[in-house]
Amino acid sequence: MNDPPPAKGFFTDATLCIGCKACEVACKQWNQLPDDGASFTGMSYDNTGALGSTTWRHVAFVERSIPPEERGAEPGAPTLTWSMVSDVCKHCERAGCLEACPTGAIVRTEFGSVYVQPDICNGCGYCVSACPFGVVARREDDGRAFKCTLCYDRLKFELEPACAKACPTDSIRFGDVVDLVAMARQRLARLHSEGRTEARLYGESAESQPGTEGLHALFLITRPPEEYNLPADPVVPTKTVRAAWVSLARAALGLAVLAVGSAVLARLGERR
Amino acid sequence: MIRRGAAKGTRFSAERRGTYYGLPLLKEPVWGPAIPTYFYLGGVAGAAAALGAAGQLVGGASFRRMVIRARRVAAVAAAVGAVLLIVDLGKPRRFLYMMRVFRPTSPMNLGTWVVAATGTASGLAALLGRTRAGDAAGIAAGLAGLPMAGYTAVLVSNTAVPAWNEARRSLPLLFIASAAASAASLFDALFDMSAREARSVRIFGVAAKRGELAAARRLERDLERAGESTARPLHEGRSARLWRGARNMTAASLAASLLWGGGRRGRLVSGLLGTAGAMLLRFAVIEIGKASARDPRAASRSTGA
Repeated sequence: MNDPPPAKGFFTDATLCIGCKACEVACKQWNQLPDDGASFTGMSYDNTGALGSTTWRHVAFVERSIPPEERGAEPGAPTLTWSMVSDVCKHCERAGCLEACPTGAIVRTEFGSVYVQPDICNGCGYCVSACPFGVVARREDDGRAFKCTLCYDRLKFELEPACAKACPTDSIRFGDVVDLVAMARQRLARLHSEGRTEARLYGESAESQPGTEGLHALFLITRPPEEYNLPADPVVPTKTVRAAWVSLARAALGLAVLAVGSAVLARLGERR
Repeated sequence: MIRRGAAKGTRFSAERRGTYYGLPLLKEPVWGPAIPTYFYLGGVAGAAAALGAAGQLVGGASFRRMVIRARRVAAVAAAVGAVLLIVDLGKPRRFLYMMRVFRPTSPMNLGTWVVAATGTASGLAALLGRTRAGDAAGIAAGLAGLPMAGYTAVLVSNTAVPAWNEARRSLPLLFIASAAASAASLFDALFDMSAREARSVRIFGVAAKRGELAAARRLERDLERAGESTARPLHEGRSARLWRGARNMTAASLAASLLWGGGRRGRLVSGLLGTAGAMLLRFAVIEIGKASARDPRAASRSTGA
């Protein structure tokens, strides 16, 4: 057997995103995802809101008004800032959904991506609660869980995922995860050297994000992660579940002692 | 993909700061009322199986009726529980896919095997009666019943939902204690028993209800320690009302069994209160999880430690 190809992933750069949502559209189109209904949220230009079972790319619009004292004096000086970034399944190095899945429907592909096999998923909904990013969701009309596939059907034919292909500014880069991490670090160094010290990487390594052991879809952002609805310190639940099993073992032992003990005491009480 | 009103009320308030327009970060657990009902029945099945096995080991012939009843209760509760689990699936016809793998990383997968083992063993034990094979099945059911009584606590702890995850140390104690209280309450409410059997169930039930109340306090402390937003579902909204209701019912049931003693009427009242408390507790825990998942401030501050 051949060695698997190196892990593939995304590097999504908020400083290059223009908020055009071409990624959202390309994803819907390629994956033939139904529309979510039109609604006006009033949340900047974001009428998508969140990732979901039929939304596998979501452009977040972080809109902040600049406090008056920090605004420039010249007429027409900007009064607000925008930071956009296209959110997606992180294809975690250690994936909570995959480890929680009771049927083995969620697998790690040869591309290192996390994939829900629709012909196996029985819609138990456990992955939905196991994901610390709120990515996986169950389709109510269908009953199964869905999320980004990293365009598995395109990777098979050496095509890049639809979102990266469609991105007009290369804010979404697709490639080998090792290359993407190097690219992200280079980009960060450059931004910092230009004085944009607010720029930071998200999920680029196991050291920076031990709870997931690093992401295969990493980000460069300019605001704190919570403002993009990214958790500051995501932890895959299976990392902490040992404590629960230990506690269960103790309690179960207690139950055994109690069951036997109460029968014994009931007998003893009689003899007295 | 916005659910209408998701950020209602928080959109322009200070609550919104440090969040994405106050929208939930996590997806809300998708489980319907079948699941907390199953949590209750699974607890009953596990604790009843354990009670049956203990009566068998200790009592010889003297716990005869209790042992048979415990086996029947365990078998019926496990069977009905399994049906509820299947009904809640998005693709119910694929329920057997749970058993196409053995997956130690998934408490739900392990739980499926435990339910199957408890249900099968207690069903066999009930059918075979007090024969050698029946007693062997009874012991097997008792052993499988121990994890059965509380694995669902591990299942919900193993999620990214802050309140559930932070309760991972106390929740298994709470569920096991409550499972024992549920089984005792059901016996109290349903069955006439010999004096010895009633005394044994009473000792079991009183200790279990005390344990349930103590574990509930411990869970509250665990969530308070994790932070204000993690503990909020205990104090606000539907989840808080359910949680308080569960505790009050269990406390009332405990008081009834202590004050009213072992009379038929006292046992009936205490049994009904205890059953209500244990049921409410499961619904409260599910509701606490849903409220916790909706709160982006609880979710963004994941702990792990």
